[in-house]
Order: sequence, then structure tokens, then C-alpha cells
Amino acid sequence: MKFFIAFFIVLLFILRQDYWWWDDKTVVCGFLPIGLAWQIAITIAAGLGWWLATKFCWPKALEETFPEAEAEQ
Amino acid sequence: MTPGIIISLYLALLVGVAVFSSRLLRQTRGDYFLASRGIGPFMLLMSLAGTTMTAFSLTGSSGYTFVKGIGTYGLMASSSALVHPLIFFLVGAKVWALGKKYGYLTQLSYLRDRYESPFLAMLLFPLLVGFIMLYIVMGAIGAGATLEAIVGLRYEFGVALVCIVVLVYVFFGGMRGTAWANTLQTLVFMVMGLVAFVVIVMKLGGPAAATQSVVENSDSVISSRAARTGMGKGEFLTFLLIPVSVGMFPHLFQHWLTASHAKNFKLTVTAFPFCLAITWIPCVLIGMWATAELPLDTNRNAVLAIMVSKHAGDLLSGLIGAGILAAMMSSMDSQFLCLGSLFTNDFYLRLFAKKEVSERAIVWTGRVFVTLIVAATYGIALLKPGGVFNIGVWCFTGFTGLFPILFAALYWRHANKYGAIAATLTVSLLWFYFLPTALQGGFLILDLHPVTFIFAGSTLALVVVSLLTPRPSQAVIKKFFPMKDSV
Repeated sequence: MKFFIAFFIVLLFILRQDYWWWDDKTVVCGFLPIGLAWQIAITIAAGLGWWLATKFCWPKALEETFPEAEAEQ
Repeated sequence: MTPGIIISLYLALLVGVAVFSSRLLRQTRGDYFLASRGIGPFMLLMSLAGTTMTAFSLTGSSGYTFVKGIGTYGLMASSSALVHPLIFFLVGAKVWALGKKYGYLTQLSYLRDRYESPFLAMLLFPLLVGFIMLYIVMGAIGAGATLEAIVGLRYEFGVALVCIVVLVYVFFGGMRGTAWANTLQTLVFMVMGLVAFVVIVMKLGGPAAATQSVVENSDSVISSRAARTGMGKGEFLTFLLIPVSVGMFPHLFQHWLTASHAKNFKLTVTAFPFCLAITWIPCVLIGMWATAELPLDTNRNAVLAIMVSKHAGDLLSGLIGAGILAAMMSSMDSQFLCLGSLFTNDFYLRLFAKKEVSERAIVWTGRVFVTLIVAATYGIALLKPGGVFNIGVWCFTGFTGLFPILFAALYWRHANKYGAIAATLTVSLLWFYFLPTALQGGFLILDLHPVTFIFAGSTLALVVVSLLTPRPSQAVIKKFFPMKDSV
């Protein structure tokens, strides 16, 4: 699962470079230029990817309880 | 008149929040600067979202879209949706754990300890203060332009008003007041952003008609705003490095330390991309639609505010204006507080406090320094050193350049003080060398944003010098890298 999530996030980084829509002014959903719509889709997919990451890749060591440090520096 | 009254009421509400939260203040450093590390998941998300989404995200994004087109969203928003949660995941939660375990109050206190170098902390101090001040100036310029466009208040008075309100609630409320105000302000600017969007869309005859007026415009300059014609592909790629800057923001570092538990970061990591989308999509669309509505030589910092005052009634203009100011102030407050914290904990107490200083005196020292910084910010904002977007990007460039120092401190046991010092010097040299050109407008080197070279130079200096010089002491390795997968 960890591998799949890492792959998914890396894929999103690659898909963000949507050079194929660069000069395209096609409008989708009635009002969104396609280049903007694609980037919005990347944002939503990122939310999904990061949700999966917190679900399956969260470091267990962080769940330890730490005694509060006595002196603050 | 009505917008002025609504904005005044909103500013008064913020002062009220500060006065109320100040009654809970325990007059200790840990409480004033870190709210006693007691912030829950929702407030952490709102604080981090409010702090990272600023004048840059509202007036900057709409203004830059007005000039460069819809690529602005991809430049900063979708890249931030990928990079910011990654940093909160890899860096924020780990920093929180170290902060709680060893009692760190600031970024510099951790780096000083990890790199065993008070000299490094002293070298970083003016650099971080300078970068944050530039960031604050960006917010002040955006706030001044907004108040001028919506209420008709003269720019210098608008900047002064916003600075004073933020100063009051930071002064009295500390981190708790700031976190509460940030939660309120983040909700206000997200809701008001959507309201502004709906109102403007309706006045423009619906989203389809508004977009068509741009796409099918006979002026090719205007229609080009629906694509990325005027943007470099290399620039678009290298802008991925700009959001890395959040990892090195001292004020964000301070917010990470306020969490009551590591699991509180999970909500932030997941929900952050959606917060970005809610804030950026309306602003970018309004910026694009504005090209068919306003003269192309309109002051880009005021595009959003002009569109609001043109299309919304008095009542809505006031509410939306309050929302825009909320976004700016919710960052300025954390930055002011962080500067106070850095000054008292990493400068004053280390260099000048010769005897035992009471916690109350330390808190007051922080407050006095914050007041001086506010005055300096006001002076610089009056000079209007550049567009909000350009100032923001250059400030973020500096922080991105320094990020390898923090990342290596957390994940590379061989990283040492010599490498960190070399990286800091590399960043300062390159950043100041490019500064005058950067403030005049965005510029590229070989079609790549200069952040690429500053980041690469800093990383290279850190790695090469660390490998060529003695390794960190065993005590440091034992303290910060006790075993795999532990903090």
C-alpha cells in the first residue's frame, strides 16, 4: 500500500506538468479553461493522496507520548 | 460608508478576541509564544491555512492572473497542494515531536542544538527576520490597496490601521489570541471568498458568459489569459520549489510546536489541498474575468478589491473586504509573534540578558520588539517596493534556499554546522545579488526561476562541506538519531 501511495503522489507531481494543455483555451464544464480544470483536478487528487498517506503511511513513532521537556529553550 | 462600518466592526471583533484570550494568558514564554502546546486538530488546520494563505493568495493570485493568465493557479496552488502536505507530513510532525521532547520554542533553538552552533543561529537570525519582514510588507501592501479600493481610505492610513489592529491582538493575546483570531479569520476569508465569487459571477451573467467574454475576446492579449501563452514551461516546472519555502517559515515552525498531539497533523495534511482550492479557484477566475472588465493597466494589487466594489453592493463589499483583510492579517499576526519569539529567545536572552530574567519580563521584551517591527513594516510598506506577487515569490525563494538546512538536520546524520553555515552564506549571497532585479518583476535564468539555482547551490554547499569536514558529535547523533523510525 505504501508503495502504491508513493507512486500515486509522484504521478501527481508528473501530471502537474500538463504541457499538453499549454495554449489550449478549450472550455470545460461550461466555464473552466481546460488548463485550469486540470490543475484543479490535481489539487483534489492530492487531497485524496494525502488522506491515504495519513491512513496507511503515518509513522508510528510519532504516536508515542513524550514527557514534556522541563526547560524550554 | 457601509463597507467602512462593517470593516470597522470586524476589526473591533478581532481586538475583542485578543482581549478575551489575554485573560487566559499565563504570562509565561511557553504560553505566550506556543499557547502551552495545546492546539487541537481543527485549530491547527485553520492556523496553518490562515498563516500560509495571505495577501499573496488573494490579491496576489487575482492580480497575477490578470497579468499572466490562469497558469497562476498551477504555478502556486496545485504545486502547494502537493508540496505543503508533504512538508507537514515529513517535517512538521517530526519537528513537533522534537519540540515537545526537548522543549524547543523556536526554529533557531532547534537548529542551534542540532548543529551545535550558536554562530549558525546568529547567522540565520537576521536572514530570517529580513525574509519575514518582506513577507509582512507584502501583507501590509495588500491590505492598504484593499482598503483604498473598497472603503476609499488613503493607502497610508489603511496600512497603519491594519498594522495597529494586528499589533493589538498579538500584543495582548500572544499565540492563543493569534490561533483563535486565525481560526476566525480563516473561516471568514474562505466564506467571504466564495460569497465574492458568487456575487461577481451573477453580475457578470453567469460563469459561462464571464469566461466566454475572455476566451472569445477580440483582443488577443485578453483571450491569452485563458491559457498559459505568456508563461515559460521551465518556469512552471521550477515553481514547484517555491512552496517548499513553508518548511523553513519560522512562524509555521512555531505553529507546528503548538499542536497538542502528532495525530493533529493528519487533518491538516488531508484537508490542506481543499483549503487551497477553496481560496485560489475563485480568486484566479475573478482575475481572469477582470481582464475583460478592467483596463489592462489597472493596479494589479487592487484587481480583486476593484472587482468586488464594482459588482457587490455596499453591504457585501464591506463583508468581502473584511474577508480579504482577514486573509492578510491572519498571516501578519503569526509573523509578528514569531519575530518577537525569535528576538527574545534567540537573540536577547542569549546575548544581553546577564542575569536571571523573569518570564513576565521576557514576554514584555517580545512585545516591545514586535511593536518596533510593526513600525518598520509600516515604513517599508509606504515605499511600495514591488507587486504583491513578486515580493511574495522572492521572499519564498529565500526560505526555500534555507530549507535543506532544516531537512538535513532532521534526516541526515552527517549534516554538520560547517555545511549548514556554508549553505546559509550561499543563500544570502545569491538572494541579495538577485534582489533588485526580482523586485522589479519576475525574471528567469535559462527559462528557470532563480529559486532553482539558489536551492541547488544551498544543497550542494551543505552536502559537500558536510562531507569534507568532521562529522557531528556522538552526543548529537545519539540525541537526534537514536534509532531507525524513532524521533
